Amino acid sequence: MKKNRFAISLFLVMMLLLTALVLGGCEDPEPAEPPPDDPEEAVFERNIKVGIVDTYTGPPTVYTYDALDAFELALKEINEEGIHGVEMEFVTRDEEFAPDQALSWARELVTREEVDVLCGFMSSASALAVSEYVREEQVPMITWAAQSEQITGEAGHSYVFSVVPNTRISGRAAANFLAELPYTRYALVGSDFEFGHAIITRFWDTFQELRPDAEVVLETYWPVGEADFTPYISSIRGADPEVVVAAPGGADQIPLTKAIGDAELTDEMEVYLHIGTDHAALSALGDEAPEGMYGSSSYHYYYPETEENLAFAEMFYEEYERYPNFVGYNGYITAHLIAEAFREAGSLDGEAFAEALSGLTIDSPVGPITMREYDNQLIHPFFIGKTAEHPDKPYLISTDITMLDGEKIMPPVEEIMEVRGE
Amino acid sequence: MEFFANLPEFSTVISQIFVGLSRSMILFMVAVGLTVSIGVLRVINFANGTFYMLGAFTAWSVALWVGGTAGFWVALLIAPLVVGLLGLAVEAGLLRRLYNRPRLMQLLLTYAVVLLFNDVTKLIWGVDFKSMRAPLSGYITFFDGLLYMPSYNMLLLISGPLVAAGLWYFINHTMTGKIVRATATDREMVDALGLNSNKIFAIVFMLSCYLAGLGGALIAPTTNIVVGMGMTILINAVLVVVVGGLGNIWGAFLASLIFGVGESLGLLIAPRFAIVFPFAIATILLILKPTGIMKSVW
Repeated sequence: MKKNRFAISLFLVMMLLLTALVLGGCEDPEPAEPPPDDPEEAVFERNIKVGIVDTYTGPPTVYTYDALDAFELALKEINEEGIHGVEMEFVTRDEEFAPDQALSWARELVTREEVDVLCGFMSSASALAVSEYVREEQVPMITWAAQSEQITGEAGHSYVFSVVPNTRISGRAAANFLAELPYTRYALVGSDFEFGHAIITRFWDTFQELRPDAEVVLETYWPVGEADFTPYISSIRGADPEVVVAAPGGADQIPLTKAIGDAELTDEMEVYLHIGTDHAALSALGDEAPEGMYGSSSYHYYYPETEENLAFAEMFYEEYERYPNFVGYNGYITAHLIAEAFREAGSLDGEAFAEALSGLTIDSPVGPITMREYDNQLIHPFFIGKTAEHPDKPYLISTDITMLDGEKIMPPVEEIMEVRGE
Repeated sequence: MEFFANLPEFSTVISQIFVGLSRSMILFMVAVGLTVSIGVLRVINFANGTFYMLGAFTAWSVALWVGGTAGFWVALLIAPLVVGLLGLAVEAGLLRRLYNRPRLMQLLLTYAVVLLFNDVTKLIWGVDFKSMRAPLSGYITFFDGLLYMPSYNMLLLISGPLVAAGLWYFINHTMTGKIVRATATDREMVDALGLNSNKIFAIVFMLSCYLAGLGGALIAPTTNIVVGMGMTILINAVLVVVVGGLGNIWGAFLASLIFGVGESLGLLIAPRFAIVFPFAIATILLILKPTGIMKSVW
C-alpha cells in the first residue's frame, strides 16, 4: 500500500513537471529573440556559429585551405567590431569530396553542433546534396567553390546562396569577351562531365546570339583524368580553328595547360582556358604555362590595383606567406557577407538571416558586390586576361585584364525562372 | 554543331596515327604484363594497374631526388626495378600460396593488393597531384612537315618496340623464356620434367610488374600522378588482353596498336564521340572473333 502511494505521488510530480515545462514553453517561446523592427539594437545571447563543410584531403586543398585561411582572416576583422555584441566562430568538417559524407557532416553540424549557417563546398555534388537537406531544415548555406549552375538554378531555393560564378555565368562571360574579337572559327573542348559540357554549352548559346557568323569547327570532350592530351591537341590543330575554348575539369587543368604550352598552340591560334589565369593554376605551373593564353578568374590579387584589393592581398600574404586564389577570396567575402547579414537581420533565426542576405550589398576588395535577390547568386565582376611573364615572379600572371561587369554577365532572371519552372 | 569533323589534311592524319601509336606503347606495357601473368600463372592480376601507378610515383620521387633532366633518366632505370622487386615480394609472400585455390580467390587477392597499395601510396606520397617535367619538350617535325609530334611522344614510340623486341628475345632465345613458353602451353608437362615452376612464376610475375612500372614511369611526365590512375589503364588493358587473345604477347601488341590508333583517328572522324571508339572497336573485334585476334592460350 505504501509502495503504491509512493508510485502515485511520483507519477503526479512527474506530470506536474511536464505540464510546467509545456506551459513554460508556450508562454515564452524564444525569450531572447529581439523584436524584428529594431534589428540595430538587438543583442545576441550567444556567439554565431558557422559550419564549414569542405574537401580537406586531396588535390582540391589548394583551394579549400585558401578559403579557410581567408575566412579566418575575415573573422579577425569581424570579431574586433563584433555582431550585436557577440563574436562569430566556426567549425570545419572534411567531406573528402564525397556527397554522402558531406550530407552526414551537414546533419551532424546542424543537429549536434547547432550551427547557424553552413558554408564551403568544393564539390558541386556535395553542395546539391546538402542543399536538399538545408531546404527542409531551414538552415542557410553558402557555396564558395562549387560551380554547378544547378545550385542556384533549377535546384535553388531561399536558403541556398552562391558566391562563386557558376557555369552559366562563366560561359556567358567568356562569350561576351570573345564576341568583341574578330574571330569566327571556334573549337570547343572540355572534360567529359557535367562541368565541362555546361561551360561549353552556356558559352556557345550566348556566343551564337552575339555572333551569328561564327561556326564550330570542332567539338570534343576527353575522359576526366586523361593521361596524354597530344591526340586532342593534334585534332585541334587539324581542325584549324581561330580560337579554342577549353573547359577542363579540376584534375585536367594542369596537364592540359602543360600540353598547350608544349605544343606552342598559342602561336597558331587564340586559346581561351576557363579559370586558366587563376593564381592557383598559374603558380603551380611555374614557367611551364604557355604565354599569350587567354584565361579567366573571378579574382586576381594584383588586379584591380585599387588600395582595397592590394591591402587585402598584402594582409593575406603577411599572415600566410602566399597570395590568395579565387576561392580564397570567396572565403573572405563569404565571412563578411555572413556577418553583415546577421547585423541586418538582428536575429539568429535562419529565416531572418536568409531574408537579410538575399539582396544584400557589401563592400569587397574589388568594390561593392550584391547577392541577387531572385536566385541568391552573387553579382560579381569577372576577369579575363592573357598570360605573360612577370620580371619579379617565378610564374606567369594575367595581363591586359578586362573586368567584365557582374550585372552584364548574370543570366537574366527570366532564364532562371524558366529552368525552375516558375 | 556538326557530327563529323571536316576532312583533315593528310599530314594531320599521319601525325595523329603516330601520336596514337605512341600512346599504344604505354598501354602495351601494362597489357603485356597482364597477358603473361594470365598466360603463365593463370592469374588475372588486377593489381597490374596499381604497379603502373607505383611506377609513376616512384619515378616522381627518384626524379625529384636526383634532380634536373638526368633525374628522369635515372628514374626510368630505377622505378621499374623497384616496382619489379615489389612484385616479387607480392608473388613470394602472397600469391604463391593461392595457386592451387579457385581463381576467384586469386582475383580477390590481387584486388586486395590494389586496395592495400592505394592506401600505402596515400600514406607515403599523400593525395595531392604530382607532376614532373619531361626530359624532352616541344615538337619535332619529320619529312618536311608531314609528321609533327611532341618529342616526348617520339621517345614513347621508340620505347615500345624496344620492349617488344626485348621480350621476344627473352622468350624465344633464352632458356628461361623457353620454359616460360612451355609453362604457358602445358604446365603439368613442365612440372613432370622436374623444372621448378615456382621460380618461373616468380620471374614472370616480377617481369609483368617491371613492365607495368616502366609504363608508369614513362607516362609520369605527361600526366597528373595520382592515386587511382592505375584503374583507368587497367580497364583498357584488360580489353586489350581479351581482344588480343588471352596470354598472347603479340596479340596484346597488335590490340594495343589498334586501340591507340583507333582512338586517335576516332578523334579526327567524330571528335564528340572519340571516347567510344576503342570500346566500339573492341566490341566489333570480339563479335568477329570471340577468342581474340591471336591464338589464346586458354
